[in-house]
Amino acid sequence: MRQSIAALAASLLLAAGAVRADTVEVSSITFLNVADQPRDGLPGQTPELATVAPLFEILNVSAHSVTNPVVKDLQLVVSTWGSWELGDPRWDNGTGSDYTGDVVSAYAAGRLFGDVLTLRLGRAQVMTGVARMIQLDGGEAIVTAPLGPLGLRVSGYAGVPVSQRFASRSGMVSWNPMAGDLAYGGRVSVSYALPGRGSGRGVDVGASINRVEDGGDPVRDEAGVDFRIQPTAALSVFGSGAYSLYDEQLSEATAALSWDVAPRWHLTADWRHVVPDLLLSRSSILSVFSEGEHDDYGGGVRYELARGLDVGVDYHLAVEPGDDGDYYGHDARARIGWRRAGTSAGAEVFFLDAFENGYVGARIFGRRELGRLFVAADVISHFFREDVNGESLAVTGALTGGMKLPKGFSAVVSGRAGVTPFMEQSFDLMAKLVYNQTYQTREVR
Amino acid sequence: MNRKLPLPVLAVAAALLATGCLKGKKLEAAPAGPAKRADTEFMHSPHLDAASCADCHEGIEKATTLAQRHLPTKEKCAECHDDKREGPKADSIPPPRLSFSHAAHLPKITAKDKCAVCHVKLPEMGEARVAPSMDACTSCHKHQLDYAQGRCRPCHLDMKGLEPGKYFTHAGDWLRLHGALARPSAESCAQCHDQTYCSECHAATTTPARPAIIFPERVERDFIHRGDYVSRHMIEAQANPASCAKCHGTKFCEACHEQQNLEGVLLSGGRNPHPPGWMDQASGDFHGDSARRNASACAACHDQPAAQNACVACHRVGAVGGNPHPPNWSSRHDTDDIRENGMCRACHT
Repeated sequence: MRQSIAALAASLLLAAGAVRADTVEVSSITFLNVADQPRDGLPGQTPELATVAPLFEILNVSAHSVTNPVVKDLQLVVSTWGSWELGDPRWDNGTGSDYTGDVVSAYAAGRLFGDVLTLRLGRAQVMTGVARMIQLDGGEAIVTAPLGPLGLRVSGYAGVPVSQRFASRSGMVSWNPMAGDLAYGGRVSVSYALPGRGSGRGVDVGASINRVEDGGDPVRDEAGVDFRIQPTAALSVFGSGAYSLYDEQLSEATAALSWDVAPRWHLTADWRHVVPDLLLSRSSILSVFSEGEHDDYGGGVRYELARGLDVGVDYHLAVEPGDDGDYYGHDARARIGWRRAGTSAGAEVFFLDAFENGYVGARIFGRRELGRLFVAADVISHFFREDVNGESLAVTGALTGGMKLPKGFSAVVSGRAGVTPFMEQSFDLMAKLVYNQTYQTREVR
Repeated sequence: MNRKLPLPVLAVAAALLATGCLKGKKLEAAPAGPAKRADTEFMHSPHLDAASCADCHEGIEKATTLAQRHLPTKEKCAECHDDKREGPKADSIPPPRLSFSHAAHLPKITAKDKCAVCHVKLPEMGEARVAPSMDACTSCHKHQLDYAQGRCRPCHLDMKGLEPGKYFTHAGDWLRLHGALARPSAESCAQCHDQTYCSECHAATTTPARPAIIFPERVERDFIHRGDYVSRHMIEAQANPASCAKCHGTKFCEACHEQQNLEGVLLSGGRNPHPPGWMDQASGDFHGDSARRNASACAACHDQPAAQNACVACHRVGAVGGNPHPPNWSSRHDTDDIRENGMCRACHT
């Protein structure tokens, strides 16, 4: 397998035109996951169990600083996978075939005209502004330039929202959450650096638009603003707002702060407003029914009890539509974590109270490295406020062991067992062979 | 249902306790992230009165890269010390990961003790080697624009393994906050994270499986959808309906719901997920009220093209279901929208 990985890395470089990369990172994960999944079933009957056993090969290759005469900092990135169903097809196979796969990322990115223009072409995600991590087959161009004491950044993108490519289930053409066939947009932002000591202090303010179409019909049509203010090293305030131009309504807004209050104390606070149906496609018939709005208010605090040992609590008041007016729900989590050298352990408790249901949960986990070996364990359980399929408890535990092998390889075996509302007893088994290697062709000075 | 905790769960719980509680032989941990900087084998403080920095670090003022070490040689030590002590070993220091020219910087510093402007603390015997903090750089250089425009590489040759300390710190409820911070700062994120890293969670339409399945050994990471997510997905979807639609299209939901017999209830007699009062306006479970609150949940099964959609049959203009729009709908949508959006014409013929 190693030869094939090296060959792929080499062909990637050759494809770039007899160029050479300073760093090529290669990772390969070959893994088999054996599990039972329920199928069919009528009211009052026990569903059938199908044993699924997909064998996956996941391959990531990233070449950085590819030397060439035209583009600076050229990156070539490919992330892809294929799978073969050794048992029944798993529910998320996405095709009618035993063989499937997809390309997660495949792009070339680099800088032109000094540092003025950054281009990214291929399958990639657009992160900034109201693009909301949209995954596109297309391109993004970013122009950066000084504007007096300010930094100006203008970006634009266009492409086809990504759907599963290798095959489609009987007539299904897309799993993409946009349900669109064309997307475009951009962002303009300015940055100002605060004078004085302290890296990164300053202000970034941006405005962005995003439009997605499906056969010419509107899927999404939004404009938004975003900002980040870093007045001191310890404090950042950031947020964003998105306005649906099609529905003439605020669709999403966030404001948050992250603050190192004292040497061992970290504080966060945030507010989030969202109109969930505005994240449905405007070409969906369901987009005409809803008028619900959700608001979350809350924050959290982290305290470092000792080196490697910290505790934290987060709480949010969730205001959502109820039967008569608003319903005031709660979302809380507390966590303690400890890490030293190759050993880590932690525990969490969570509480969710929403209008229709909620739960109380707990999790404990740990990992220990023993030379070339490691073992990890994880147990998570939830007690539901209202029964789910007539049951109030779900508990699963996973035990994982692995070994670092020579030349960048490692092997991992994991077993998971549990009692859940839909499975009286469930057992999963996963085994994987991992290869991680970084090739450096030029010494980093 | 006869429900017992299976032995494997108990075994896992026992193993978990073991990982945290067993005390085995202390072993060397593999270094994580960047190569560890070797501890200093030299006492700086006794030498500061007797010699200047340049006396020992001879030629440092001409160094254009950090690869030019300019550490004192054995002969340099022998100028003052008559024993045969070795000079510092350059090969014990990992390769530098910054691009820095002492030659370019030293002439611009006007302070009398030029070196101390950046090298505020010199390491002593046994202490970890410390480079000047980035604040030393930014006391002269404004880097906010570089942060915003994602230009770390000219100075940082390699960001791997570095963790943001003060700026972009990943402390607190990072899972909740990172998206809001990425909107104005995506290029800064990209300095450390390839999109392959982001795609582990964010490219839900094209990834092979959720990260908690692929990486069970990374128990300390804040993966979403851990454990038995199937049993609680409807609870979390209702509590935060927008979050599902950001990654999953309707077909993703349908693929599973079809296999669970949760679709085609009327045609094939499948399992009806709706409560008894679903079609009764007087009941507390009327479907219209649920759709008002959370149409995203309806979309998990009923988001077919308008012509095949179950809602259209009853709610099209003139049909028995009546006008399905919220009260303020007409203030935001005029008749032009009907012409511009094919979906509208399914009901407004």
